[in-house]
Amino acid sequence: MTPTLASATRPPRNDRASDAPGRGRAQRDTTLGSRIGVMSVLVLATIYFLLPIWWLIVASTKPAGRQFSGNGLWFEGFGLFENIALVFEVNDGVFGQWMLNSVFYAGTSALIGTVISAMAGYAIAKYEFRGRGVVFGIILAAVLIPKIMFTLPLFLMFNQVGLLNTPIAMLLPSIVSPFGVYLARVFAAQSVPDELIEAGRLDGAGEFRVFRSVSMRIMAPALVTIFLFQFVEVWNNYLLPAMVLNDTSLQPVVVGLVGWSGSNGVVPAGTVVVGAFLSVIPLLIAFLFLQRFWRAGLTAGAIK
Amino acid sequence: MKKTALRSATLAGAVAVGLALTACSGGADTTSAASGPAEIDFWGWAPGYAEAVDAYNASQDAVVVNYEEISPGAKGGYEKMLNAVTAGNAPCLGQVGYETLTSFAAQGALEDVSDIADANKDEFSAATWAAMSVGDAVYGAPVDQGPMALFYNTEVFDSLGIAVPTTWDEYQAAAQKIHAADPSKYISATYLNYDYAGFDWQAQAPWFGVEGESWKVSIDSAAGKKVADYWQGLVDEGLMSPAPMWDQSWYTGLGDGSIATHVGAVWIAGILKGSAPDGAGKWAVAPMPQWTAGDDVTGNVGGSGTAVLEGCDNPEAAWDFAHFMSTDADTFSALVETAGLYPAANDLLTLPVLSEGDDYFGGQNIYEVFAESSAQVAEGWVWGPNMPETVGFLDDSLSGAWAGTGTIADALATTQKKTVVGLEAQGLSVTE
Amino acid sequence: MSAITTGATSARTLRWRTPWLFLLPFLVLFVAIYVAPILFAFTQSLFTLQRDGLGLTAPTLAFDPFANYARVFGDAEFQASLGRVLLFGIVQVPIMLGLALLIALLIDSKSARGRGFFRMASFLPFAIPGVVAAVMWSFLYSPVTSPINGFLESAFGFSIPFFSDGLALWSVANVVTWVWTGYNMLIIYSALQTIPAETLEAAKIDGASATRIAWSIKIPMVRPALILTTVFSIIGSAQLFNEPTVLKSISGGAITSTYTPLMAAQSSVAAQNYPYAAAQSVVLAVLVGVASFVFFKLTSRGEQ
Repeated sequence: MTPTLASATRPPRNDRASDAPGRGRAQRDTTLGSRIGVMSVLVLATIYFLLPIWWLIVASTKPAGRQFSGNGLWFEGFGLFENIALVFEVNDGVFGQWMLNSVFYAGTSALIGTVISAMAGYAIAKYEFRGRGVVFGIILAAVLIPKIMFTLPLFLMFNQVGLLNTPIAMLLPSIVSPFGVYLARVFAAQSVPDELIEAGRLDGAGEFRVFRSVSMRIMAPALVTIFLFQFVEVWNNYLLPAMVLNDTSLQPVVVGLVGWSGSNGVVPAGTVVVGAFLSVIPLLIAFLFLQRFWRAGLTAGAIK
Repeated sequence: MKKTALRSATLAGAVAVGLALTACSGGADTTSAASGPAEIDFWGWAPGYAEAVDAYNASQDAVVVNYEEISPGAKGGYEKMLNAVTAGNAPCLGQVGYETLTSFAAQGALEDVSDIADANKDEFSAATWAAMSVGDAVYGAPVDQGPMALFYNTEVFDSLGIAVPTTWDEYQAAAQKIHAADPSKYISATYLNYDYAGFDWQAQAPWFGVEGESWKVSIDSAAGKKVADYWQGLVDEGLMSPAPMWDQSWYTGLGDGSIATHVGAVWIAGILKGSAPDGAGKWAVAPMPQWTAGDDVTGNVGGSGTAVLEGCDNPEAAWDFAHFMSTDADTFSALVETAGLYPAANDLLTLPVLSEGDDYFGGQNIYEVFAESSAQVAEGWVWGPNMPETVGFLDDSLSGAWAGTGTIADALATTQKKTVVGLEAQGLSVTE
Repeated sequence: MSAITTGATSARTLRWRTPWLFLLPFLVLFVAIYVAPILFAFTQSLFTLQRDGLGLTAPTLAFDPFANYARVFGDAEFQASLGRVLLFGIVQVPIMLGLALLIALLIDSKSARGRGFFRMASFLPFAIPGVVAAVMWSFLYSPVTSPINGFLESAFGFSIPFFSDGLALWSVANVVTWVWTGYNMLIIYSALQTIPAETLEAAKIDGASATRIAWSIKIPMVRPALILTTVFSIIGSAQLFNEPTVLKSISGGAITSTYTPLMAAQSSVAAQNYPYAAAQSVVLAVLVGVASFVFFKLTSRGEQ
């Protein structure tokens, strides 16, 4: 139907990346020259990707107020714990609140959103009905148009109906995820056999019951992927919360940090650096430990 | 521009969780004499305001003020207030920066309380009282102010044997000497939006005015051009540091002596102490350089007042509190210490907390300079009806001018043009 | 859900209804979050703010359907911002995707070691929210204290004027590239994994070199993924907002408040001119919608 689907439904070839057995043979196949060439390009690329993160880590460990002194890329004194304490002290410890807010917004909307997406994707994948093509077309179009385009109109609308500055204004738009529906559709089509659904029906279970106790179970790993993508999307979203949430106590950490960084020295730049470092730790960990779910989503979706 | 609006209004703009309170306009029943004290809601963000409210509530029984801490104005606080006014559930009082007050008035978001307030007019510095007014209407009580002076690095000046400049000509000569002696050192760095406006304020080149029923826009006035050309000269000679104000490079420069002076408001003292700790003991404060030797005219940057918002049904009680917070000696002493506010009320300029030497400034009592400056702030400055838009236009071209693309004068001319178009597009009556 | 299982409903209605019930939550939210705001913004854009004299009373709205649109189409800065993101998309996207493709091919090649590490290293920046990445890079770009320039100056005696007129847009592009390359790389890499091992073996037996296999077999076979990432990235350029907004304050005027279309619309909001912001948003949404539609048609035709 679409280029993505074509590649998505094809089962992935063995991932040679992590396959130890393949290695011995591979080594014999390649020349030293090509290995050096390939590795040096990869190392260069890695330096590019990791250096800013390295700088962030190094700067965060420097004693308070010395974040920008000395060699930017090497340690100099140690004040990490003191810095962290400072981040949680500024503005009466609002940083902790921001982190909790981020977890709450991203967690809640990803959880509800995943269920809603699963239902919608499942319906499109597993039912024949009139209008299916239209619905799916609309969803694809929505995947294509960046969500951020709707933020300003949303702000104007929420302003009119008095929803500004409430968690609802952040949650409602975050719950809807056309990409989640799209992924759910792909996964449902791939992994839920029609026979199982039929069997459930023959047992006398209602449609919803079949969905909940049969299909959802089979789709579970895929649902984790959907959850993760949505979680990251909401966690990283800046414009929406920046526009609809005025109260500092309601804001997620990205908005709070940008506020600090633009506070004209009220919050020292060093503290902003350490705050940025702390704010990215949860996602960095999630990335490192949940790799296979990312790959699943990227293989299936092959789109943002 | 958002940055300075925040900065100018409060020094240590800390923000904490505010409790959602019911709006004052809804509480009409509580204002009748029989049913106990009048209730007044107040939204603000300066640290120390909560304590000031407590002190007021403890001092009398007739009025109870409910304080809610909101985001700093330019960070969403103003938007929240304007939205509340539109929705009809705004508090009676709100913290509003002087530069924004006119814009609020031009949204119809303020209540004229001149008949109540005029009696207290003489208690405040002329400039701050004017800042809370548009024409004859008075919209609230001034709280703090930002009279300007010259912050300079004594180490740089002493090592080269340069006398502290008292005129802008001397300032330029000092700039040349400093840069000639060490090309990595500059007299000063960039000034944007409201910080730049302070120079025009001193030069009596107001950006706006009210003429009858029209707004006069004069951002590119001849007097303003003189100021622009002066700074342009310094830029062209390479005497100004390219460090953008508020950037890390700016703080670093202030700390290590490569930015030798800053001409700014009283609250710059707090910035230096907080963000340029390396400069401790080196900085001192002198009166603002003058255009004509022997003059004593200064400008103002920042400051805010307690404004009465549209829909307030008990302006007397609202004014009573606003006046108390701005003039009560004990309350304001606490504000000086927690928020670094500098009082708008004349009698408070001699508070004991404003009479102490400061080690950061080599033991100098810098407030003596600012008390003098406060009395010398030029009259006749008026802010425009849509300052967020105007300073947005200005900064777009002004930051380029400091960096060497375009000129400051052109930046002002462009801002003038765009501002006039913007105001006229909304149907306002404008003269140039 | 229980309604559909009651005996009163006939099996046919049930069949017809079930998928729609599954879709209902999504569709309701979709209408509320995607359709309604655009309609609302459109309505609001038909009005203009009207005040008179000094304007010391609340402004009123007057129906004037073309005024805002006439202003949008005469707004040189808004048009410049559109041109800017277009240029950005045309230049930055191929560079980013070329880099992503190169890294994906190298990691996929037999000469690579430590594939898991390199894959993760390039994906890691994606864990950092765009604004936080921009805050980080703003410290690295900072005109006087940049550690990058500090290094370059001490090692090679030159520095990069990150915010000179010619470079500013590309300094922004670098932040975007830094965040998104690894993400796109993983998509392409996942697509590479779906190439059947036999195809590659066959080519090797025919004596094709690794470079030749990459060029003649791998790249053509991941073409769908490349097209998709290209389309999404180009359309994504239209939403450029976070990075330039954060970098604006240190850019020495090179980045203005109307640098991108979204920034322009946002500054209309800041100036309290909601109807004009609404008109800008509508124009932008329509342009992006049309562009998406065209791209979508072109790419799906190419596949058939």
